[in-house]
Amino acid sequence: MKKKKVVLLSFLTILALTLSACLFDSDNNALSGWLKDQGLPDSYRVQTLTVDGLLPVSAKTYEGRKVFSASDRALLGAQAGISRDLVLDIAFRDSAFFAELDNADSAISFVALYVFNPFYTADEFPSDSLPYEETLEMNVSWKVERGKSKDFNDSIAKIADSTWHAELEEWEADNSADTTYEISVGAKDSVVTFVLPLAIMEDIKKAGPACRLQIRLSAPNAKHMYRFYGSSNASFATIFRMRTFLDEEYKDKAASPFRMANVLTYNEDCGDCLVLHGGAFDSLVVEFPSKEIMEALAEFYGDDFPFAEGDGFDVRQAVVLAQLTFARDDSGSESELGLPVQVVVGSFIDSMGTELRKMENYKLNRPQVVESGHPNMVFFDGDSLSLQVTLGMRSFINQARNGDNFKMMLRLGFPVLQAKDSTYMNYETAEGDTSFVFLGVFDYNRYDFTSMMNQPATLKLWLATKRGEE
Amino acid sequence: MKKLFGLILFFAAFASASMIGVDALGEEQIASGSAGAAGRGFAGGAKTGEAEGFVVTNPARIAFDTKVVFNLNFLMDLYSAESHGKSYFTETLSLPSFNLSFPMGDFGALGLSLWQSYSTSLLEDVKDSVSNADAKIEYQGSVYEIIPSYAVRLPFFRGVSLGFSVHIVLGSNMRSLTLGPDNSDVSEDDAWATNNSLLTDYVEGSWEIENHPAYYTGSVMYRGRVASFYFSYTTGHTLLNKLDFDFRFSELDTLVPNRIDRTIDVPAMFATGINYRLARRHNVMADLQWRSWDADIENIGHSYDMPSYTETQSDFVVSVGYQRDGSGLYYDPYWDRISYRAGAWYKNWYIKDVFEMGGSIGAAFPLGKKGTTIDLALQGGKRFSDSKANWEETFMAIRLGLMGIGSWGQTRR
Repeated sequence: MKKKKVVLLSFLTILALTLSACLFDSDNNALSGWLKDQGLPDSYRVQTLTVDGLLPVSAKTYEGRKVFSASDRALLGAQAGISRDLVLDIAFRDSAFFAELDNADSAISFVALYVFNPFYTADEFPSDSLPYEETLEMNVSWKVERGKSKDFNDSIAKIADSTWHAELEEWEADNSADTTYEISVGAKDSVVTFVLPLAIMEDIKKAGPACRLQIRLSAPNAKHMYRFYGSSNASFATIFRMRTFLDEEYKDKAASPFRMANVLTYNEDCGDCLVLHGGAFDSLVVEFPSKEIMEALAEFYGDDFPFAEGDGFDVRQAVVLAQLTFARDDSGSESELGLPVQVVVGSFIDSMGTELRKMENYKLNRPQVVESGHPNMVFFDGDSLSLQVTLGMRSFINQARNGDNFKMMLRLGFPVLQAKDSTYMNYETAEGDTSFVFLGVFDYNRYDFTSMMNQPATLKLWLATKRGEE
Repeated sequence: MKKLFGLILFFAAFASASMIGVDALGEEQIASGSAGAAGRGFAGGAKTGEAEGFVVTNPARIAFDTKVVFNLNFLMDLYSAESHGKSYFTETLSLPSFNLSFPMGDFGALGLSLWQSYSTSLLEDVKDSVSNADAKIEYQGSVYEIIPSYAVRLPFFRGVSLGFSVHIVLGSNMRSLTLGPDNSDVSEDDAWATNNSLLTDYVEGSWEIENHPAYYTGSVMYRGRVASFYFSYTTGHTLLNKLDFDFRFSELDTLVPNRIDRTIDVPAMFATGINYRLARRHNVMADLQWRSWDADIENIGHSYDMPSYTETQSDFVVSVGYQRDGSGLYYDPYWDRISYRAGAWYKNWYIKDVFEMGGSIGAAFPLGKKGTTIDLALQGGKRFSDSKANWEETFMAIRLGLMGIGSWGQTRR
């Protein structure tokens, strides 16, 4: 019975479709005509609106996070107003060694760091600036914890990185010593060795038979930011080694750090200046007043802005794209590599009553990129910086009734290798080579936005509207 | 049973509709769109019989039923809309209603129906680089009613019954218009910004009755040996459509919608019908439904050059039909057991200057001994319109009803 029904239903469907194919025919663009008769368009009309002379009502920089893991790359030194200390976390248990240490005539320890050569030998690195040579003034500080059992080492390993990083922000050393090192990093150098102060060994001696040692290397007056391999690299792992001298015999004990971290310190205080640093998570938050933008929209559409009917959420028009253009002057800023650097943008939008920072998309103006490069870069030719703030502008106009300012955030991103490449992503060339758009490491630079924020910016909106034309 | 629900869901995913009045209420399903009634031109609200079941215009009828009737109706609607020498063809599938009536002897009868009273459904797109058209339009809406009803025959006048039903309204609607950019007004240097940027003008909402749980129908019916007739009155009510207007850039990237409510005053409806028995098993019937709209309907407008209101007119359906009942005896020849139907109707839409004429033929095929029947109706006609926005439509429809008749609670005599 069921089969019969299915057959009947299928038969009827086929009959109907065959009949309809013979009887009726659709014209290709009949729908356009139907839409028009309903008062609906078949495409949205793009309109542009430019709002000149926008001056921020507030601009403020915020320091970012201070502690970064150094498992991939380790940094030591200072550059562009920021210094980075390197902290090594070491734990070992060796009763025989501690017994030897107790009896030793003398003992010494050193740290060896492998220079991150791929960076210094890369084509992008200005090779004429090598070798880096200086007398490094270094402060070495350390903390020693004494343990006994095997469980002690396990308990150290169990401390989460986040916990350790939080502790590092409140670093209080047991002991410290100032010292100087002659450092030289050239294209062919691969290891830098720091012999540590003797007092460290005295403290270790008291600790045994198990011991946790945290060593912090700090060189805030260094001329450069030195880059080394991090703790997780098996081939180039950082070495910590102790050596005892007893009965005219040397004995070594190696104990490599199981993790490392960089602690960042801002050294410059320039008052009200708006400086951002590459490779740091500091950000510049800028607010533009609502009034000028609302007035320009009101004049453009001839309607009331902000919108106040119903719930007051303005859906009369949509921002397809929004771009803010600033006057740019790179003087007063300092670049390490001399490469253009991308400026990353985020906007603060209102999501269900909560302020949310959303990173903006970047839509490519390909003809312009090929001709004059990406418009969102500093340390580059030209005298302007154009940033897309589409998501922010959408939310801002949509919820303008709240009377909030337009609020955005700027941050320095990666150095750009191919400023005029319109792909804006790494790709494989026809020859099978990879074309890299960004350098995979940060440029430790500083950029001063003060003059940019003191000059009027221009907002350009690409708009679509629901308003009728009649 | 699982398969049946699957089928119901499949059909419910489509909603039947014409392209007329999509921004007002959509198309109305006459007489709950049952395939049996459709076969005789939507007439026959006064016809009683074993396989009739529930009808929304006349809840009193089920008081005369002796058997439990369940029916499920499917509709396949094919139509071509025409204007300015251009035509547009589309088809829809839907499930306009299912009905259950449950007679309880002297205690009267209970009925339950789910009826898609108004519906809109459209999903079409156009892309033409020459005229720069890039649009995709989608309408999906239905006003559903859940209708519990009760009917009972009067104690001393057994030929007269009273019926009462409650219409609980629910449903939702949406319009989504996705558009590509037209850069003709901006300079060539600015065209990059909107390339491939699609925008969707999105409206969605829900239906309910304003300040009231439901609206009601009351009817009285007389069943005679030759002629039967009924009168019914359905209360007026105000439909509330809560709408959220929005712009969408993708599913997840949208503006905060603006809420606007619209209300639609649906007037009271009067319906009557007569069934006349010409000879044994031969019936002719006629029905009338009439409703006088006195307020225009606010559109799902607020966009572009759409008119704010759809003008209304008196809305009525006149239908005439014929049915030759099939024999109820299983041992009669099969062709004799089939019920044959034919009918025609004229319908003035609730939308000004829109009317519809149609005719249909139908049959009910009994399956097996137990009283399962398949109702089939073929319909055709034309919807005429004088207004610019509503294109004239030529339509064909195939309706299929699955009917189950059971004798629960009946004692063997």
